[in-house]
Amino acid sequence: MSISAETAKEHAKDPAVLCCRAEEGTVIQASNLEDPAIFDDLVESGLLDLDGALTIGQVIGATMTKTCDSLTALTADNLKGYTEAEEAPAPAAEAPAEEAPAEAAAPAASVAGGMMRIHIGEGKDIDLEIPTGVFGSGSGVVQAAPAAAAAQVAGTVAAAPAEELEGKVVRSLTRKHYTITEVKRGPETKIEGTTLYIREGIEADVIENQELVHDFKLEIITPDKYHTYSETIMDVQPIATKEGDDLLGTGTTRVLDGAVMMLTGTDDNGVQIGEFGSSEGYLDENIQWGRPGCPEKGEIFIKGQVTIQAKTNMERRGPIAAHTAFDVITQEIREAMKELDDSLVADTETFEQFRHPGKKKVVIVKEIMGQGAMHDNFILPVEPVGVLGARPNVELGNVPVVCSPLEVLDGCIHALTCIGPASKEMSRHYWREPVVLEALHDPEIDLCGVVFVGSPQINAEKYYVSRRLGMTVEALDVDGAIVTTEGFGNNHIDFSSHIEQIGMRGIPVVGMSFCANQGALVVGNKYMTAMIDNNKSKSGIENEVLGCNTLAPEDATRAMYMLKAEMAGESVKAPERKWNPAVKQNNVELIEEASGEKIELEENEQSLPMSQKRKEKYD
Amino acid sequence: MTNKIETKELKYGDKIIRMEGVIVEVHEEGIAVDLKGRLGYLRVPNRMVISDYPFKVGQEVAWNMSFIEQLGPDVNTKYVSNHDMYLRRQKEAAEKNNSNGNE
Repeated sequence: MSISAETAKEHAKDPAVLCCRAEEGTVIQASNLEDPAIFDDLVESGLLDLDGALTIGQVIGATMTKTCDSLTALTADNLKGYTEAEEAPAPAAEAPAEEAPAEAAAPAASVAGGMMRIHIGEGKDIDLEIPTGVFGSGSGVVQAAPAAAAAQVAGTVAAAPAEELEGKVVRSLTRKHYTITEVKRGPETKIEGTTLYIREGIEADVIENQELVHDFKLEIITPDKYHTYSETIMDVQPIATKEGDDLLGTGTTRVLDGAVMMLTGTDDNGVQIGEFGSSEGYLDENIQWGRPGCPEKGEIFIKGQVTIQAKTNMERRGPIAAHTAFDVITQEIREAMKELDDSLVADTETFEQFRHPGKKKVVIVKEIMGQGAMHDNFILPVEPVGVLGARPNVELGNVPVVCSPLEVLDGCIHALTCIGPASKEMSRHYWREPVVLEALHDPEIDLCGVVFVGSPQINAEKYYVSRRLGMTVEALDVDGAIVTTEGFGNNHIDFSSHIEQIGMRGIPVVGMSFCANQGALVVGNKYMTAMIDNNKSKSGIENEVLGCNTLAPEDATRAMYMLKAEMAGESVKAPERKWNPAVKQNNVELIEEASGEKIELEENEQSLPMSQKRKEKYD
Repeated sequence: MTNKIETKELKYGDKIIRMEGVIVEVHEEGIAVDLKGRLGYLRVPNRMVISDYPFKVGQEVAWNMSFIEQLGPDVNTKYVSNHDMYLRRQKEAAEKNNSNGNE
């Protein structure tokens, strides 16, 4: 199919190939040329040879010297009167940093907090905007830059705002940490020193709480019991409570360190509640330790195994009943925590939500599942990751809900998602959400909020919520946005629509999702240019290891760099046709070299024990 | 993970066939589809289906797929153990349900 003059302009640097037969003497116009978007397929299948092909920009207006068939690349052999390749860019690329010192040195000396833009031409063409302070000061800047691969320092130092505006604290949140080293059963639920006692017989209250809950078992899993069979892990939750009348996201939160709540379950027929792609099996082989949503190695799991009415695992009320009943125990622990004395506080950390007027305003959009049973989340409970007071996003119609970053870190999402263990974001994930933390602590941007938007099942509803998201972001008047989604599947349809809605308003946007092989995007649009893949698994698939492919700090760092590059007006190079893990590695190395800071890469399923003698071990 | 089965290239992976089926079960978390011609049965979570209308039993669906290829002769003991555990739990559940029914 021929292309328009506009497309030809966009693809001026791509190879020129005839879309249809052209006679000798034909003057080449856009209408004679094939769309470069399909070349990869053609080259791969051997139908097209691009050797020696001139670019589209070169051939427009040139004359054919011989008659050629369609899908013939235009080269010097069949064309005359074409423009010679522009020489200018080449030397610039070869002489990377030589000219940078001159440009950067003077302003760096005089402009404190100025920005240096680096364009890295090799590898994945990542563009970086880095505060000059990162390299030290003055000429240190220019010493560091040449080391950044075959970097072409094209940018100039931006003038610092005339008046550096101070950040403004909107609100703050304090976490008081209490250490727990032992969890025991006892006559009442209480905390003594570093020992948590859970009331004997509390199981009956859990069963009593919900009609659908038919049985309940509580297990205390200490590290020596990690090699225990478990039903599929539905959720991992922090144990936290608000102090006094403090509202979620402000004031003080008390949290227990060293122990987490873990919900598992089946129905009366022994069918897993998270039936699809479930993570049942030996705990130590099914958990990707240390992911934001997962337990840390060494933590004690207060593991509940809920049995719900047969078949209700396939209805919304089943998982909701399991989560609600299990919260009876957490709530009793919360009540005990409210009595704790400040002398037991092991550590205190304060999160401050800063607004940085004058900096680039950024919003984080988190798409959460909303297709039905298990694809659901409780939003804004009274207690961190509680149930009371929260509303399921499915019932809210999945429309955008704006939260403060501190509400997110204070457990405003109680996740009900049970499927796709490797890519689901559990409740604890939001408690330690890496993108929110990264943006919250970045003084170079002005983080204005976090928007949660559900992913409904039906396409019409997807576009309904997506258009609302577009309007929300428009009203926020931001300079940039990061859109994340959990899992994969039809949520990628609204994920791409969210990015389109934001991109069409001229706002730079970075998308984050698990994609790799199995989660490959089924749709796309022209605004989906800056994408981060959350995959960590070796084969790029849902590997049934809890949390393995969820968003981790390393992904957040890459996303933030990519967004800053986009906001600085740089473009991100197009991805390869097929998933290639080397792209990510390359980007990480580029950022490391430019920033001088090591990015800690997460481990994947290869780090978990490989039990060859499983058969002998299990009875 | 467990047994080291390296990612093996599929021999026939690029042969894509249009398959059709009929929705036979609709739940709040997923649907089940009978492949036309009694070629099998597929049960998938909602999010793996692209839909323009609410699901109804009897609606026809289609998708592209290929044949299933074995990755190798080895069994993955993790799945064997999980399956054994599953069968045992099913048996326990059935016994329990029966005894409850008799009371």
